[in-house]
Amino acid sequence: MDGYIPISNGQLLLTVILVFITGLISALLKLGLLRPLLWGTVRAFIQLTLIGYVLKYVFQWNTLWVIVPLLLLMSFIAAREATRRITRIPYNPGLNTFLSLTASTFVVGIIVVVLIIGPEPWYSAQVMIPIFGMLFGNSMNAVALSLDRMYSEIHANIEEVEQLLSLGATPWEAVVGYIRKAVSAGMMPTINSLMVVGLVSLPGMMTGQILAGMNPQSAVRYQFVVLVMVASCVAIGCLMIVLLSYRKMFDQDGSLVDDLRRN
Amino acid sequence: MGTALLAFKDLTRPLDDEGRRLVVSGKIEPGEVLFVRGPSGAGKSTLLKILGRILTASGGEAWLRGCSWKDIPAPQWRLKVQYVSQKPVVFDGTVEDNLLMPFRFRLLKHKPSPPREQIKEYLEELQLPATLLDQPAKTLSGGETARMALIRSLLLEPEVLLLDEPTASLDENNRQHLNTLLQYWVVEKPRGIVMVSHNEQDLQAFPKRNSLFIG
Ligand SMILES: Nc1ncnc2c1ncn2[C@@H]1O[C@H](COP(=O)(O)OP(=O)(O)O)[C@@H](O)[C@H]1O
Ligand SMILES: [Mg+2]
Repeated sequence: MDGYIPISNGQLLLTVILVFITGLISALLKLGLLRPLLWGTVRAFIQLTLIGYVLKYVFQWNTLWVIVPLLLLMSFIAAREATRRITRIPYNPGLNTFLSLTASTFVVGIIVVVLIIGPEPWYSAQVMIPIFGMLFGNSMNAVALSLDRMYSEIHANIEEVEQLLSLGATPWEAVVGYIRKAVSAGMMPTINSLMVVGLVSLPGMMTGQILAGMNPQSAVRYQFVVLVMVASCVAIGCLMIVLLSYRKMFDQDGSLVDDLRRN
Repeated sequence: MGTALLAFKDLTRPLDDEGRRLVVSGKIEPGEVLFVRGPSGAGKSTLLKILGRILTASGGEAWLRGCSWKDIPAPQWRLKVQYVSQKPVVFDGTVEDNLLMPFRFRLLKHKPSPPREQIKEYLEELQLPATLLDQPAKTLSGGETARMALIRSLLLEPEVLLLDEPTASLDENNRQHLNTLLQYWVVEKPRGIVMVSHNEQDLQAFPKRNSLFIG
């Protein structure tokens, strides 16, 4: 595991070339992306540097009292990010998103860390944090996608839903068709990535491990575990978010809320 | 609320953001047809949707045979007080699939599906050929769709029908057949109908009728 080539400060500075290329394209085409590009670059650098320090100490302390709050904080940030992308929902989905992300990630994360990887001690921060981080990142996208899809499907099919309601359907029966679409919309990117992995793309985690000197055959095993764990986490997260949220499309009388009818 | 089949008092709902509001009261006796009349945009469709509990009123109350809607869960109420939209939605599948779809819902699962004979009888009375049953429902014409939707609701054996311009897409002949069927249906049990219609002939078809003007 020791075969990696460290990047020196001088070498790091050379990345300016790459930022310059991106900036040039933006400037030439007047994309208006120069400011966000520079700001994003600075932020990425600072955030990564900070998280490097944080992780270093968290790994050293390696106690659940630090790990669990950190994971919850990650979940909170992921939930906020997911919520930020869903603009048309007529209520604040923040809490439901947080619950879905936390539950799905903890269930799957614990299975992977304790049962499959089995580090010593079982809660080793060096394993927990990267695994949970990957779960949060993927689940966040999927949950946002699902929720957005559920809302837009129902919004686009108000008449259908109302027809089903008037024919005696319960709220659940009236929207279950759209809920199916929403859950599969959230899961689709992950399922698709299972198909092409290794052929079209080398996932970031595997790339990182190989660069860090890990034997490719070991890296591939890790990557496989990661892929299937992401898939199951995404499935749980998408299911949870729609189950927790669909009722908010209805008022206490079981009619669609008026906010859905606007615009 | 006495003997009224359906009664409603001070049903309220905002119609726009400028403060225009719908506030209506009324009732129907058993065997009666209540015609809702008024200019376009007055809130006639809105009233039917509120009575069918597809829209929630911001105030007021309604009673079915004296039983407040607060005491009847919305899905049950909707089956008894059937709202038939002006633009009925049809779902994928054949006409027969559409007609029987409600009997797959939890609320109706215990009920036997209506016999084919009954369906064919309705089709005949509304001048629709029995071969229609196997046709994809989305290929029906506007008039055929309206009649299919009415049959779909009749099969649920409601006590009150809320009909939003049921004859608007029908020709003279079909209009008469539909009114004849409803005329018979409403006194058979006795039941009740709330109907939005701009057609004078629809009105004349029902001897026991009342009118409610809004707007
Ligand atoms: N989904 C909706 N959003 C906003 N306004 C609506 C909506 N549906 C109906 N309205 C308004 O409510 C009023 C009453 O509509 P409606 O009940 O359909 O009238 P009517 O059936 O008497 O022609 C109209 O001014 C209409 O523009
Ligand atoms: Mg109308």
